[in-house]
Amino acid sequence: MKPPILITIMFTMVAGTTIVLTSSHWLTIWIGFEMNLLAIIPILMKKHNPRATEAATKYFLMQATASMLLMMGIIINLLHSGQWTMSKNTNPMASTMMTIALAMKLGLAPFHFWVPEVTQGIPMSSGLILLTWQKIAPLSILYQISPTINPNLLMPMAIASVLVGGWGGLNQTQLRKILAYSSIAHMGWMAAITPYNPTMMILNLMIYIIMTLTTFMLFMHSSSTTTSSLSQTWNKTPLTTALILALMMSLGGLPPLSGFTPKWMIIQELTKNEMITTPTLLATTALLNLYFYMRLTYATALTMFPSTNNMKMKWQFNTTKKMILLPPLTVLSTLLLPLTPLMSILD
Amino acid sequence: MTTHIVFVLSTIFVVSFVSFSSKPSPIYGGFGLIVAGGIGCGIVSNFGGSFLGLMVFLIYLGGMLVVFGYTAAMATEPYPEAWVSSKAVLAMFITGVLAELLVACYVLEGNEVEVVFKFNGAGDWVIYDTGDSGFFSEEAMGVAALYSYGTWLVIVTGWSLFTGVLVIMEITRGN
Repeated sequence: MKPPILITIMFTMVAGTTIVLTSSHWLTIWIGFEMNLLAIIPILMKKHNPRATEAATKYFLMQATASMLLMMGIIINLLHSGQWTMSKNTNPMASTMMTIALAMKLGLAPFHFWVPEVTQGIPMSSGLILLTWQKIAPLSILYQISPTINPNLLMPMAIASVLVGGWGGLNQTQLRKILAYSSIAHMGWMAAITPYNPTMMILNLMIYIIMTLTTFMLFMHSSSTTTSSLSQTWNKTPLTTALILALMMSLGGLPPLSGFTPKWMIIQELTKNEMITTPTLLATTALLNLYFYMRLTYATALTMFPSTNNMKMKWQFNTTKKMILLPPLTVLSTLLLPLTPLMSILD
Repeated sequence: MTTHIVFVLSTIFVVSFVSFSSKPSPIYGGFGLIVAGGIGCGIVSNFGGSFLGLMVFLIYLGGMLVVFGYTAAMATEPYPEAWVSSKAVLAMFITGVLAELLVACYVLEGNEVEVVFKFNGAGDWVIYDTGDSGFFSEEAMGVAALYSYGTWLVIVTGWSLFTGVLVIMEITRGN
């Protein structure tokens, strides 16, 4: 894409999300969602092949349907409360429709089917934007309507998302599909805590974005899209191999790393609200997630996968890929756990 | 009938939406859009918004739909499906029309229809007066307010339309 057009499209995408984040009027929120959707379609189709076109079409159809549902919820809310601001959404029909629309936008189960297929059909950098930036706007609206969300609607969707994200990722070797299922599972964790303590949802979102950014950048750095090509990174850039080990453990939520912080906080908040089964279910099904992260780690850093002998002696070229901010992001995604007492400022 | 003109127009509106939702080829769907646009203009005008209704005709039908018609003619397929040539399209059309006729008859019985909100029968849409809101037409004041209080909205909308064109160009570039 020519640079001026790329700049315009990126600006519109950022402007769309900013308009969603800073609006108090429901109509401008909806306009922001549509601007965001419109601008990301050419980014999904950066490489013009039929797979990318199919992925962009699926994404567009899903998000447009969700926007229509959101508009219906907005109008029902207008009908019953008589005003367009964000404050009172007490009509249950409006609240339900808005929640379902936002769940469709996020890829929560049972509306998760588009996430792996869209993520697989697009280039790695577009997938990065899809799984991180595009989650910010719907989650901010979920944050703002969280007092009036019906937990009986959102909790089953959240638990189902963590289940689907774990089980679905088990049979995958393509890295983009693995990251898509990982995104579904993390969205499930975020949705689970939203009715009770939305601040923890924002915490989870921040740490998830940092970790996913780092993961995508490491995969882009070694140009690997499958597990088998990821298993060759020990020969290309040995440092990447070690970082992938730490990062996958952090994504799985293991304790000495920062991926544990959001899970810990979410389980703490859920138990403060006298829920026992839900956090147990969430924690146990997160083990499924951990299994396929472990498998990636095993293939990458812990074993030498079978390959022909001439693949074990690669020239180590200086890379010309610009990996912006990769070292700070890696540090942030793995070493933030000791800063958890800082969370007390959120009270 | 003319006291209930809005109700009649809205029924025909729904039927024309059904005619293109039953997925014939785009050229035939465009015909449904033209009818829907004209009827929409009629409904808006009946509520006092004559300026906006004529805007619909001019800009929507005479600008956007004309462009759509030309592009559909460029991208036409060798055997287009009309409503009678394909059993699937005909079935969907008849289903939609039957559903609408059922709802319309139910409303005309004088009952209220409560699906998501209360619609109190055909009498709900009869226009009794033109709305005594002073010396200025509400609708013209609304359009004027768009350009004074709603400047930000105009900027955002204009930018979105411009981005829409850019996006279409980028997607159909092909290389």
